[in-house]
Amino acid sequence: MTLAILASIFQQAHPEALPVNPIARWEWVFPVIESLHICGFTLLVGTIVILDLRLLGLRLREQPVSQLARALSPWIWAGIIAQLVTGPYLFSGDPFEYVQIPAFRVKMLLFLLALIFHFTVIRAATAPSRDAAPLGWRRPAAAVSLCLWVGVMLAGLWIGNL
Amino acid sequence: MELLKFCQWLNGTPLSVWLRESPYPFPILIIIHVVSIALFGGIVVMGNLRVLGWAMRGVAVTRLIGQFRAWKWVAFAILLISGLLIAASDPMEYYDNIMWWISLGVLAVAGVNAAVFRYGVYRSVAAWDRELVAPPAARRWAGISLAIWIGLIFIGRAIAFF
Repeated sequence: MTLAILASIFQQAHPEALPVNPIARWEWVFPVIESLHICGFTLLVGTIVILDLRLLGLRLREQPVSQLARALSPWIWAGIIAQLVTGPYLFSGDPFEYVQIPAFRVKMLLFLLALIFHFTVIRAATAPSRDAAPLGWRRPAAAVSLCLWVGVMLAGLWIGNL
Repeated sequence: MELLKFCQWLNGTPLSVWLRESPYPFPILIIIHVVSIALFGGIVVMGNLRVLGWAMRGVAVTRLIGQFRAWKWVAFAILLISGLLIAASDPMEYYDNIMWWISLGVLAVAGVNAAVFRYGVYRSVAAWDRELVAPPAARRWAGISLAIWIGLIFIGRAIAFF
């Protein structure tokens, strides 16, 4: 981020110079980082779908929820960290352009909501103390989680079309 | 050449013209394609990670693979159909695109690799279903599968770059 702002200041001072930021300098950098970004959300989709379908009571019913959540947790973190590294770097290539794209703003809002929802409601829903209880409110919570993550993905994919 | 003639014929069909010239079909197809890749890839990757013994060790291999098999194949069907429609939108362009042909070749390799697993070491899965780590032959297969799918994401993204 800071690097991107510095780069753009440098750019304004020396419009004839090549951009310092590799993603703005060589056109192949963007698709490579974007591929990593797609790998990251593929991992996130895989883990979130497994967890949410369990919470919906549709899959892996014999598996205690808390155990499954604990097993998936490092991979969900890996996915989130991959997105937090590759996403801002993709953004740094043309920050002033992105902030003006409605789909980008919607994506950031949904991503923030999905993260907050995951670490509050879903975390509570996967607490070991609830393993023996009926799914109850945890089913709609899982549906909301799925919708939020799918929304992040759809808004993100729409950025390229605007 | 027969294939070139086929592409020329396809290029002139009303479907191809519509996909190419209307503003919405192409971006919508791309979104459907990438979402189905994330869903299919996510499920495949989690299965690979389980066989490698890196994730979800508490879940039996057959449970994880069996419970998500239907979702995996539905996602794959959507992936394939949307991919073919994307190709049909501009057959002359993709006919000349080396990355498109490489992605098709790698997809075929992935299919062969999956069949080798399914009709090879997976037949003895009952013996290692609950093992934390699968036998070396299965782990080798899972590692190759993981590498192929990550590679395919990069190659698929590169189609649009070439």
